[in-house]
Amino acid sequence: MFEAAALAVLTAAAVTLSRALTGPSIYDRILAVNVMGTKTVALLALIGFVYERPHFLDIAIVYALINFIATIAFLRYRERGDLRI
Amino acid sequence: MNRRPADNPVAATVSALLIPFMQIYALYLIAHGDLGPGGGFQGGAIFAASLILRAIVFGLDREEERRLDNIAGLLAASGVLVYGGIGLLCMLRGGAFLEYPALPFADPKTAYHLGIYGIEIGVGLAVAGAMLLLFMKTAGSRDD
Repeated sequence: MFEAAALAVLTAAAVTLSRALTGPSIYDRILAVNVMGTKTVALLALIGFVYERPHFLDIAIVYALINFIATIAFLRYRERGDLRI
Repeated sequence: MNRRPADNPVAATVSALLIPFMQIYALYLIAHGDLGPGGGFQGGAIFAASLILRAIVFGLDREEERRLDNIAGLLAASGVLVYGGIGLLCMLRGGAFLEYPALPFADPKTAYHLGIYGIEIGVGLAVAGAMLLLFMKTAGSRDD
């Protein structure tokens, strides 16, 4: 069952990647990168269950946190043209 | 902390909730580096990321920026000092560089554990300081 879920997540990630590559506006691409990060978190959690190594959840949390910061930084850069604080 | 609340309420609210959790989580990663997949590098990176998020969302005034700059340099240098200090302490006690059982503890197993623990703390300090320095130097204020 976990394998089927991982396949579903991978399919969704492939669709998301196509949107990141073709997305007409930059916001499509930013959102696609953000969703890609979310898929990565789900996939990491699933891998942790498949291999019975719950430590993977720690890595998943790290990825979720970094993903959020990346999106905020991209959007702030897009809004102002720089990251000056 | 909330210097520009009107700038973007969503980012400000989520960041205010997330930053304390990130810092606690960074300390957890450093403390469990020898047991789990975390470690000094990841913990230091997450800790620096929390401060970077705070700087991006809430901004820094001139005084805070100067202070953060100083602290970042101090963190990076002290991390290297802790790492090298533990390694050299092992050599002073008659072992090789970073040979933990040579550390001055009663039980070699305890010495091994605490030695790795100290190394993780040193790596965490150095990584957090270096990441903060990189961010401050590339995204610093306009008239640098």
